[in-house]
Amino acid sequence: MKVHRLLAATVLVGGLAAAPASAQDITLEFTVWNYSLDTIQDNAKKFEAENPGIKVKITDYTWPDYHDAMVLRFRGGTPTDVAYVGQDWLPAWAAAGFLAPLDDVAPADVLSALKADMAPFALSDETYDGKIYGLPYYADTISFLYNKKILESAGIAVPQTWDDVMAAALKLKEGGMEHPIDYEFNQELPNFWDAFVAQAYGRGGDLFDADKKAIFDNPDNPAYKQLEWLAEAFKKDLVQQDTHESKIIPSMNTGKHAFTVVYNYVLAAMNNAAEQPMAGDFALALMPGAAHQTLGFTKFYAITASAAADPARAAAAWKFVNFMAGKPYTVAQRWAEEKGLGFGQVPLFNDPAVVASWNKWIDMTTLKEQVATARGGTWTEWTSVWSAYFRPLLAKAMVGEATVDETMKAGAAKWNEYREKMMKK
Amino acid sequence: MWTIGRFPALWVLPVILPVAVLTIYPIGYALWTSLHQVMLLFPGEDWVGLDNYKAVVTGEYFGAALKNSLVFTLFSAPLVVLIGTATAMFLYRDFFGVTALRSIILLPWVLPGAISAVLWTWVFHPSWGVINSTLFKLGLIDHSIPWLSDPTLAFVSITVAHVWTQVPFTVVLVMAALSAINPETIEAAVVDGARPFQRFALVIFPQIKAIIVLLLVYNALIAFTSYDLVYAMTGGGPGTATTLLSFQIWKESFSMYDFGAGSAVAFIVVAISAVLIVAITWAIPSDIFGEDEPADAKA
Repeated sequence: MKVHRLLAATVLVGGLAAAPASAQDITLEFTVWNYSLDTIQDNAKKFEAENPGIKVKITDYTWPDYHDAMVLRFRGGTPTDVAYVGQDWLPAWAAAGFLAPLDDVAPADVLSALKADMAPFALSDETYDGKIYGLPYYADTISFLYNKKILESAGIAVPQTWDDVMAAALKLKEGGMEHPIDYEFNQELPNFWDAFVAQAYGRGGDLFDADKKAIFDNPDNPAYKQLEWLAEAFKKDLVQQDTHESKIIPSMNTGKHAFTVVYNYVLAAMNNAAEQPMAGDFALALMPGAAHQTLGFTKFYAITASAAADPARAAAAWKFVNFMAGKPYTVAQRWAEEKGLGFGQVPLFNDPAVVASWNKWIDMTTLKEQVATARGGTWTEWTSVWSAYFRPLLAKAMVGEATVDETMKAGAAKWNEYREKMMKK
Repeated sequence: MWTIGRFPALWVLPVILPVAVLTIYPIGYALWTSLHQVMLLFPGEDWVGLDNYKAVVTGEYFGAALKNSLVFTLFSAPLVVLIGTATAMFLYRDFFGVTALRSIILLPWVLPGAISAVLWTWVFHPSWGVINSTLFKLGLIDHSIPWLSDPTLAFVSITVAHVWTQVPFTVVLVMAALSAINPETIEAAVVDGARPFQRFALVIFPQIKAIIVLLLVYNALIAFTSYDLVYAMTGGGPGTATTLLSFQIWKESFSMYDFGAGSAVAFIVVAISAVLIVAITWAIPSDIFGEDEPADAKA
């Protein structure tokens, strides 16, 4: 009898172990860089609670490792369903077949409503070949920041053009400030190029034509003029170089510099009263130049092509992405309020909690105006490779080791060479 | 009859296998990669022969990177050995606090390269770095010195930081060599009236010259393949002022996503390193590692 019971129990346990999980049980593989991992995990838990049958497994990498790790994951066939993606990686990843357009997995009406709420640059950043590939996790602009007290005490108005910035810097230098401009100068960082583009956008105009051919080697092009401006500012010894934004924060808080061009979250850190001695002195101005435009950028949640190929998995992945970035924008609002992260969902500009939190460190009216005119970058399959080539040339031209003309000509020639090469592929 | 002398290949297998897996295979794969077009984002790995090598050598950064690497090696390797030997001689003496000092001096050795780079970036910072602040306070400068943004000064700065990180290892090895010297030979030199420099040149140096040469070769290789400090301190800039060949391996592979070109640079670095080793060993006297015993010597 005992033997029979034992056998029955064994069969039962064995059967349970061998039985497939419920058909509705899906575990989504979600890859992120590890900024505020506890918040990501908490958001995922909330999603799981609202969506029984769907689990989220998070794999995190450090930001510097993320891109390479993801490319190796995709190429190696490691299961991945939803991933953080940067706007600069989208064309290459989409062209390589790593990602799926949201149009393939999301209801058209829902997607259409979400697109209507997006800042133009965010929509542009998430679009490749006419299709949208993600919803914003974090979107921000590169902004022109200044020290209010320094400008007020020197009787200098907030600069409207780059000529104004030059005049103000010269006046401050005459008054004893050695380097009025603090510049993030690190040719190995992609944002070295991004910050330059943001400044050129301030002047208006395009760096590339409609066919994505480089046109910035024309002396009348805003980028050409901006590089001339930068070279002159360096030549006049108006600029202090800092190798990373983390050093811009304490440098600006020494009171030895009046202007800088960085991401908005750096302003949040500069104005953090708990850590910085001159917190509250720093403000956002529209990017100098006739157009006052700047570069916006977006990091977003995307669904992989492998997930999209499985209908059940695709539906679960879309539910998750929509939870993280879709209406009523609860998660995006949380990132904005708790962490000061920028957002691509325009309605959040009117969210009372976000406004109350952000008003402590930034003028929301100016920010709203800057975001409305922000433009996406020209992201192509070859942009990041070309940028790695061009950034050292840009650095040399700024410090006077190469002429602006030879730099812009070499950069444009290489861009067009990559373009031709990629077009053939 | 079973003896340990049978199946010699089988006995060395436990050693050969890990070496093959961890060394020979990666080197072989890197060689294969250098002869193919391997770009991460594009499918296909076509055979391109020596095209990657040609593209790298004729590229815009190679000449500057090669020159920088050679100059960097030429300055830093002898400096490390010189400062390391002098420090070891100083620390080998017996004085109050020497044990604590020996421990402190080893600190740079245990710090990861990236941490050392961050530390030196703060030291060299133009606004609030230790060097500029001190020079300001002493009234020696009235303008901040752009240590990491002026091309020449940036090169000097990374050399200083590199030497700082490498000196402790040299100190340890030279001190080990010094401890092997029979103190009676130095005492005899003192009795004979030899001055400190004479004692070093005629008694001590001949007994530690083998380790000095080894350290010179070692430091030349370390300098020639140095990467982390430069990456974190200057990113190879401004322009190509501090771009070293080893940094170019990373850049080609992970910044330009061209692993074929990156592997080609790696093999060029290996070839030049081999030439460096041969050149240094040829340049030293043949008796440096001990004279041959005469044929009629008795046990």
